[in-house]
Amino acid sequence: MVNSTFGDKLKEPRPIRDGMFLGNLSDLEDLSLAGTRCADCAETSLGSVSLCPNCGSDRVHTLRLGNDGILWTYTVARHRPPGDYRGPEPFKPFGIGLVELGEGLRVMCPLDCALDELRVGLPLRFSPFLRHDKDGSTVVSFAYRSVSESAL
Amino acid sequence: MTDVVILGIGIHPFGRFDTSFQAMGSEAARLALTDAGVDWQQIEFAYLSRMYLPATSGARILKTLGCTGIPIVDVEAACASGGAALRQAVLAIRSGEADLGLVLGVEKMPRGFMDPSMIYSPWQIEMGLSLNPAYWSMRARRHMYEFGTTEEQIARVAYKNHKNSVHNPNSMYQKEFSLEEIMHSPLVCDPIRRLEICAPNDGAAALVVASATRARQLGFVGTPIHIAACVHTIARYSADLRCPIDSMSASAENPGPTEEAARLAYAAAGFGAGDIDCFEVQDTDAFCEIEALESLGLCAAGEGGRLAEEGVTDITGTKPVNMSGGLISKGEPVGASHLGQIYEIVTQLRGAAGARQVAGARVGLGHVLGAGGNCAVTILKS
Repeated sequence: MVNSTFGDKLKEPRPIRDGMFLGNLSDLEDLSLAGTRCADCAETSLGSVSLCPNCGSDRVHTLRLGNDGILWTYTVARHRPPGDYRGPEPFKPFGIGLVELGEGLRVMCPLDCALDELRVGLPLRFSPFLRHDKDGSTVVSFAYRSVSESAL
Repeated sequence: MTDVVILGIGIHPFGRFDTSFQAMGSEAARLALTDAGVDWQQIEFAYLSRMYLPATSGARILKTLGCTGIPIVDVEAACASGGAALRQAVLAIRSGEADLGLVLGVEKMPRGFMDPSMIYSPWQIEMGLSLNPAYWSMRARRHMYEFGTTEEQIARVAYKNHKNSVHNPNSMYQKEFSLEEIMHSPLVCDPIRRLEICAPNDGAAALVVASATRARQLGFVGTPIHIAACVHTIARYSADLRCPIDSMSASAENPGPTEEAARLAYAAAGFGAGDIDCFEVQDTDAFCEIEALESLGLCAAGEGGRLAEEGVTDITGTKPVNMSGGLISKGEPVGASHLGQIYEIVTQLRGAAGARQVAGARVGLGHVLGAGGNCAVTILKS
């Protein structure tokens, strides 16, 4: 009984970072990035936090960030990132960018699109996915992917 | 306000060595003391700038110099560690508590990418967002998009710095590369290439600092170099696209950390960019130098690439930058890098820089900027 509960716990997806998502972690269709809007300075920051990282106010509320964005700048990681990188194996070069969202912030994330597609202004869409780790746990991670690909 | 001067400078070359950090730090300190004509027994306090070294590194280096009972405090502010440590020394002297101190920067770092767990959260490392050069490259890419800056202009910075390094015996690389070699070196993170980035390495630099009054009492006969300003800032909200940020505001319009540090430093010194004869600036990557030219007020936003292209920043140009070869050639032993810049500027202001001497240099500026938006600007005058 105990073992089975433990097993269920392992299967229950956990977010790659606390407060990063809003919605049901078991239903990727329902997920979006979480943001924090400050009532005092009107800045929106990434993730659900209790203090505004701009002005320090605690008059903040959590909101869902829209799924569509535009690539503001980008690069290509030509080398395997150092440390405990959990991307596809074997390593292949991938895009990293800042994606500008309608709520007034730019999110740093991996880009799930062909390298020759990358350009400033590329339309992108939020793309959460499940990462299955060797210890049996499931982690909800995310990237942004090009709109053309996600339509396929 | 108390006038604080640099009496002596010392350096252990930047590179990769089997030497212990204690021995490197001790060597730089001894050279600075000899240069100043000051005995270790006279030193009243010390600061150690370092990022990668373990706890009590300062105390361990100090013990190799002789246990006189003075305090040493280890200071860490990423790439700006040296500026943060020097500022503490200036404040200590201005407080009236002390008159004569040692500021030491020492580092020993592993090859390759820096250990990401030092500055990134686990989720960033797992997602592959822990590549420092990715952040440099994204700034370069955006600048190219907004201002038309070219890959050749970026390569031109690396060309100049490698060329300058040939005359610096303390640089890790002392080799000139052609523009073509640089532009065909492998991409690290597009559009930045291997010959356009600095390597983490080992090295040490040391300064003996004093109040001007104490310098006179000591009968100091050399050229005292005055610290006209020493400022340390951290980037304001969303003001800097630099690791380990996870996002940026699209609406906040705060000045960048270099703009802010430069504004404060120019105000403290009582003059501006136009009055400065030579610069040592953060060139973790070649684009970073272009950005620094703009942020320090050498030109308007978007003009940095043109400045590099036109040779304005060459040793023989009107605004020489990174005469030492910069971090691109010297490498970046993080804790020692800013004090290494100060070593170069003091050498320039003494007119002792040999083949890399800027003619008639009387005022110089050192600038470092790195993780967390840590920035330091120091202005020296003879």
